Amino acid sequence: MDKLPLASLQQKMINYLVNDDPNVTSTIMKQIKDHGRITRDVRLNIYKNAYQVRLKETIENDHEMLGFFLGDDLFDQMVLGYINAYPSDNTSLRHFADKLPLFLANTPPFKDHPIISELAHFERFLMVAFDAADAALFTRDLLANTPPEQWPDLVFRFHPSVQLAHFHYNSVETWQALKQEQAPEPAKEQPSDWLLWRNKERLTQFRSLPAQEYDLINMILQGASFADLCDFLLQEVSEEQASPLALDYLLKWLDDGILIKQKFIQQ
Amino acid sequence: MVHNLIKNQASARDFSLSSAAEGIAPPEHFLGFGLGLRTDHFQDVLSTNPDIDWFEVVSENFMVDGGKPKHYLHAIRELYPMVMHGVSLSIGSTDPLNMQYLRQLKVLVNELQPQWISDHLCWTGVNQTNSHDLLPLPYNEEALNHVCDRVDQVQNFLGRPILLENLSSYITYKESDMSEWEFFNQVARQSGCNILLDINNIYVSARNHEFDAQDYLEGIDKDKVKQFHLAGHTDYGNYVIDTHDHPVADPVWALYQQALKRFGWVSTMIERDDNIPPLAELLAEVETARNIAYDTLGRLQPLKQGEIVT
Ligand SMILES: [Fe+2]
Repeated sequence: MDKLPLASLQQKMINYLVNDDPNVTSTIMKQIKDHGRITRDVRLNIYKNAYQVRLKETIENDHEMLGFFLGDDLFDQMVLGYINAYPSDNTSLRHFADKLPLFLANTPPFKDHPIISELAHFERFLMVAFDAADAALFTRDLLANTPPEQWPDLVFRFHPSVQLAHFHYNSVETWQALKQEQAPEPAKEQPSDWLLWRNKERLTQFRSLPAQEYDLINMILQGASFADLCDFLLQEVSEEQASPLALDYLLKWLDDGILIKQKFIQQ
Repeated sequence: MVHNLIKNQASARDFSLSSAAEGIAPPEHFLGFGLGLRTDHFQDVLSTNPDIDWFEVVSENFMVDGGKPKHYLHAIRELYPMVMHGVSLSIGSTDPLNMQYLRQLKVLVNELQPQWISDHLCWTGVNQTNSHDLLPLPYNEEALNHVCDRVDQVQNFLGRPILLENLSSYITYKESDMSEWEFFNQVARQSGCNILLDINNIYVSARNHEFDAQDYLEGIDKDKVKQFHLAGHTDYGNYVIDTHDHPVADPVWALYQQALKRFGWVSTMIERDDNIPPLAELLAEVETARNIAYDTLGRLQPLKQGEIVT
């Protein structure tokens, strides 16, 4: 038997792990010494099994509610399909299942039920909120220390954990029901917007966004000032109500902990 | 004095033999008896401040931008010395070194100021495909030169020597023409890296490949070994799998004692990766390790900060 150069030996071993083709198995088998009480087959299988179990556990940990939603058989089918379609190219398992929502949106039978992909997407949003960068918050105290004449010009920045998510189905409600170990309502179209972030206790949190708040947040993302927000609200409420309403929103965001401290704000 | 440490990081304890005549004093880099830090125990460690000498953290778990795990990590680092243990270096892969990973590693090293950094004598993937497993190398001249060359690059990049750890393995390639311990020892000698000896992995591999674990210990240079891992495994009779989800088994404790006799004082820790029990259970295992070491090498008295040996 010829000795293989390191690179081709490694390629054959990786091929074996990611591939179930018997030819691929026999190719690496030829390079394994036959010795001791167990066969080469058993020896290699320990690696194959460990590879599959590790990736499966990663998806199970990242997508617990999706797992409950699908049940064991469909979940296993999803895992095998995903592992074959997207072998890991990342050093971190944290990102192994990043493409799971995409896989579920494009692969039968999952793609016939778009809520499945949305559930996976929601769980990945939660993961991003969980370990996004830290940043000092803009607080009520900082606002109180800002001279009132500067308020109209205030612009805001969101904490790195903040994410806006749009779902077409009752995906978040389904996720919540599963989390509370209750049977979810049947899937139905129910467009909604959600805000996800990591709160002051460093726990991930989310809530639905009413249309008005959604619009305001999008304005902030485009650089709108506090005065711009007040102007926008003037289209919806009376002149006396606009400024207090804008302030209510601002205080709510400060209490949620979704805005960060900015340099120009005086301490 | 905890508040004095708030902006600082804890430094390693000093150890001295309680009776100098009893045995050999530990080397300067000896950290004592530690534990692999796991997410499940963050709260307990901070609230109970257990009497343990140091923690090892898995580098990849903290290669994130922020959030709760990092917050706990830094809080615990203020109280305990730490070492960093990685699983993704893939030192033996024929792919180019992953510079993005190495940069992330260096950032974390700067944050944590660990006593040292370790990874495994293995490869984890090739051609952009990652197995997320520690795969064995063939033990031959080509692999030896390849690994030494890469250890050199990594050590230059990090500006310090690294430790490499032996694996549990289940296969031997026909390409191998030397024993794992010959290969491992040559890597350490030629590249200048140090050795993290996993006692359980030696036991597991000895069973699976039917070699004598004592031969392994004797094949490793005494001055190269800077850390021991102790862990549990699952015994299937004809073979053993390194599952790290059980308490340390009796034959592994016995092998630990043999390792102490050969290598003397080596920083030792319990490594549990799965089926994580309450913290107290693992602390008891750390105490078992400490007692075995004291029985084998003599009793040590950890010195308080600033205390002077007379
Ligand atoms: Fe280990």
